Amino acid sequence: MRQKTKTKSIEKHLSHWGITFVLPSIVFFSLFNFYPILNALYTSFFKKKVLSLAAPEFVGLKNYIYLLTSANFWNSIRATAVFTIGTFLPLLLASLIFAVFITSIKRGNKFYQMAFYSPAVLSSVVSAAIWLLIFDPRGLGNQWVNNLLGTHGTDHNWLADAMMVQLSTMIVYFWKYIGYFIIIFIAGLASIPKSLYEAARIDGTSGWQEFWRITLPLLKPTIVLVSIMSMLQCLKTFGIQYLFTQSGAPQDPINVITMNIYNTGIRDHRIGRASAMSIILFIIMLVFTWIQFKSSKSDEVEY
Amino acid sequence: MKKILCALAIVALIAVSPVFAGGQQEKEDGPITITFWTHEDPNRTEIEERYIAEFEASHPNITVERVTQSSTKIQELVLTAFAANQGPDIFNMSIEDEYAYIVNGRVAPVDAEAAGYSSTSSLVGSYLEGSLDPVTLDGKVYGLPLELTNWSLYINKKVFKDAGLNPDTDYPKTWEEVAEVSEKLVIRDGDIVTRRGFDFRYPYYLVSMVPMVEQLGGQLISDDGKKAIVGDEAWLSFLEYMQMWGPNGNNLGSPTYKNARKLFNKDNNDIAMAMTGLYQQGRIRADNQEFYDSGEWMVVPFPVFENAVNDTAACYYGHYYMVNGQKSAAQQKASWEFIGYMLSHGEEYLKTVNIIQPTTELLESETYKNMPYSDVFSADMERGHVVYFGEESAKLQELIKGAVESVMLSGVAPQKALATLRAEAQELLDDM
Amino acid sequence: MQLVQSLKTPIRSLKTAQITWQKALIWFLLILLTIFTLTPILYMFTASAMPAKDIMKMPYRWVPKGFEYENFVKAIKGNDGSFIFLRNILNSLIVAVTCAVTTVLLSAITGYGLAKFRFKGRNLLFMMIMATMMIPFEAIMIPLYMVVTKLGIQNSYTGLILPFLVNAFGIFMMRQYLVTFPTEFLDAARVDGMSEPGIFTKIVFPNCKPAIATLAILAFRAQWDNLLWPLLVAQSENMKTVPLYIVKFTTEMNTDEGAMMAVAAIASIPMFVLFFSLSNYFISGTAVFSSRKG
Repeated sequence: MRQKTKTKSIEKHLSHWGITFVLPSIVFFSLFNFYPILNALYTSFFKKKVLSLAAPEFVGLKNYIYLLTSANFWNSIRATAVFTIGTFLPLLLASLIFAVFITSIKRGNKFYQMAFYSPAVLSSVVSAAIWLLIFDPRGLGNQWVNNLLGTHGTDHNWLADAMMVQLSTMIVYFWKYIGYFIIIFIAGLASIPKSLYEAARIDGTSGWQEFWRITLPLLKPTIVLVSIMSMLQCLKTFGIQYLFTQSGAPQDPINVITMNIYNTGIRDHRIGRASAMSIILFIIMLVFTWIQFKSSKSDEVEY
Repeated sequence: MKKILCALAIVALIAVSPVFAGGQQEKEDGPITITFWTHEDPNRTEIEERYIAEFEASHPNITVERVTQSSTKIQELVLTAFAANQGPDIFNMSIEDEYAYIVNGRVAPVDAEAAGYSSTSSLVGSYLEGSLDPVTLDGKVYGLPLELTNWSLYINKKVFKDAGLNPDTDYPKTWEEVAEVSEKLVIRDGDIVTRRGFDFRYPYYLVSMVPMVEQLGGQLISDDGKKAIVGDEAWLSFLEYMQMWGPNGNNLGSPTYKNARKLFNKDNNDIAMAMTGLYQQGRIRADNQEFYDSGEWMVVPFPVFENAVNDTAACYYGHYYMVNGQKSAAQQKASWEFIGYMLSHGEEYLKTVNIIQPTTELLESETYKNMPYSDVFSADMERGHVVYFGEESAKLQELIKGAVESVMLSGVAPQKALATLRAEAQELLDDM
Repeated sequence: MQLVQSLKTPIRSLKTAQITWQKALIWFLLILLTIFTLTPILYMFTASAMPAKDIMKMPYRWVPKGFEYENFVKAIKGNDGSFIFLRNILNSLIVAVTCAVTTVLLSAITGYGLAKFRFKGRNLLFMMIMATMMIPFEAIMIPLYMVVTKLGIQNSYTGLILPFLVNAFGIFMMRQYLVTFPTEFLDAARVDGMSEPGIFTKIVFPNCKPAIATLAILAFRAQWDNLLWPLLVAQSENMKTVPLYIVKFTTEMNTDEGAMMAVAAIASIPMFVLFFSLSNYFISGTAVFSSRKG
């Protein structure tokens, strides 16, 4: 009995310390994340102009209804979906494959990790400046593709054509983040106990079987981490699309939701509608992350 | 669980509430600091820093803080600052961006006496007729122009000669000729254009492209302000022209090529004609004195379609100095005094920065008349009108941009692009 | 015996042939990706040494004819000759280093609290922090700006730094790392009478080193890269950061490609220096970070 009360008081003592440790961050998040998003939620029920000093008019769900029936907003959802799928899947697959490659070679793996990671070192403004020159009609993009395909003098309209400009944004993103995810996967691969492979080798398992039976299942936590992170990154993409359109690329094909939020709020001054858009995006991201978490939790592997 | 949520909400509220209690109060007397935000322009920085020093010397209780912002970002910065009720005392932007500040009562009317005029009517009288209209609302004037600018066509004579053309006789007078001449001037490597004849000012659809529609009898907004995108024929022929121009038509250029006006000064034999304002001369001089002195460039009027029903040139637009209406009376007065002092140097602005303050005095001065091709710009200004400005002008420009891009780059039929444009523009107008 | 031997040899050589073929493919793909990732960077550095008209020549000449040092002079001096770029670099360094340090400290302590202590609502709190990863910055930009202006810290280092003191990903990473930290160590320390803050600073934090390195680099990079927030908050020239300088420099009328690439190159150098000098720690560090379970 006494023993029990003692552990209880220790538990209480510990839980107090836990709260103390977490508190600074909670205050931080309340002020700089929770408050602003609640503010956005509140604003989304009003017809509010940024500059207006008059009290905004309460419109209930009208902003949401407007958005869900607006072709322009659906185009943004399409643009975001295309970009996310077109970037996140290749990124996930390629980074996994290349991480396996790098760990399988004996020499030069540090060199490759650094080479692949270096684009992530550049800031996005710098990356955009470089790629805008590459995608110039006279730039490297056309030169290389034409040399490769033997189509001298063809302009592939990297930034001008509606399809190509979507591909171009994906290329830049892939280029910038591939190394980052490769390194995370390498770390994940390194965490798989070597003894498991040795045991498998004794059993006469081939390389492929090894990959399917050991690597992939044990890498699952890393895969979930990378896929959630890269998906959220893709859904939130803004910089490249914004800087490309600023340089003359057509807007509609790459008018992703974040850019639409920005333009609606800042350029068109409609802060209520922009807030509604951000809440919708927030919910979309929440749902996707939740699905990924759930689907990964159901068959977690222990070792 | 719920407790934690409640606790969080309380933490958030407590953390935030003192922060939102009450704005800042400025003292009426004592030293005054004026913040002044403007766009980046090295030539202007030089002279305005000097004006500030002079002004501070004669007004010892006033300090002026001049902050320059990138010309493409200042709209966002001023907007967010005003949204948080922390706008600068003085700012200037293009009128399309500034108009919403007047309508929403965010800026203070001109204090004519502080700005150095005996009365508002004498102030209005000293400016070119109509040049203050965009900033006049209910009889009050809300801004003073730093510049009023219109665009004409700059021509590089060397490129014309290189293509076997005589610049003095072969320069284009109509849009049809612009296309014809460009075809002769263009050099391509396969599909890739390495020398362009002419380049549009793509992002500025309201200033440079709406007049093309108006030449054909169309309108952006009907006279009664109720209908958007008036005149199917005119808009269709304009969109067809742009389609012909683009990579899917005659491939004379596209919005993703580098801005012509930046290349023009370099004289690298890659652009023959560019649409820009008088201020370009100052920039040619700064970038390439040799080319400026060579006399190998000239300026010709804004072209007109062959079957035009209206003779309209490019719209003119203005940058107006405005004063934050939320500041104290003393700050507002000091701001107008300072603006008045800066603007009393019209000739120096014209000489060093090549921008025109539309005062009758300046426009009649020898300095202006002696500037190369100032007559061309004056004549084009007579033919043109002020750019469309309204609370939704940026969005309208975006919609026109979308329509032009869709026909030029995405192969959308002009009829379809027009239908989309009209529907969206009308919705915007109805929702104002 | 001999027969067996002779039978075995061709099988083995077949196998090694297969392995070398596989290896060749792997090497080929690795080199291909290396070319893809490094070419644009090489392009930036070579173009920064060329006059503008050479950069847009077809075909591109990879070796510059001379060294166009003009580009770098223009880049550093700026179009107004104010040398403000150097100050902007310093600002970026101050902001990025501070954020890296605070992110590491706060992430570690919060992650520790969430991983090793039980209290009511812990999981909910964790979920809520995770949910902030899903807030697009554009959505909270204006309310956040209002908070900062009301605190009166716009146009200051505090204003640039405060909203990025810590982030959800850092907390997530530290929590995941510390979940597997052996609780027996902590209990042993408690039995020895060590205080809870003492346990954190003397036992937990020093053991987080590999994760700390990774997190610090990520946080540094995020701030070095940040464009939208400084754009709003840093109003005067001497508070601006490197990305703002680049945007300003590239949108000015008379900037040419050569000077633009020179600015880009200079802006990238601090990150490259940091990356190369810490790469050992970083690359092996992440490996250690995940091998904890092994």
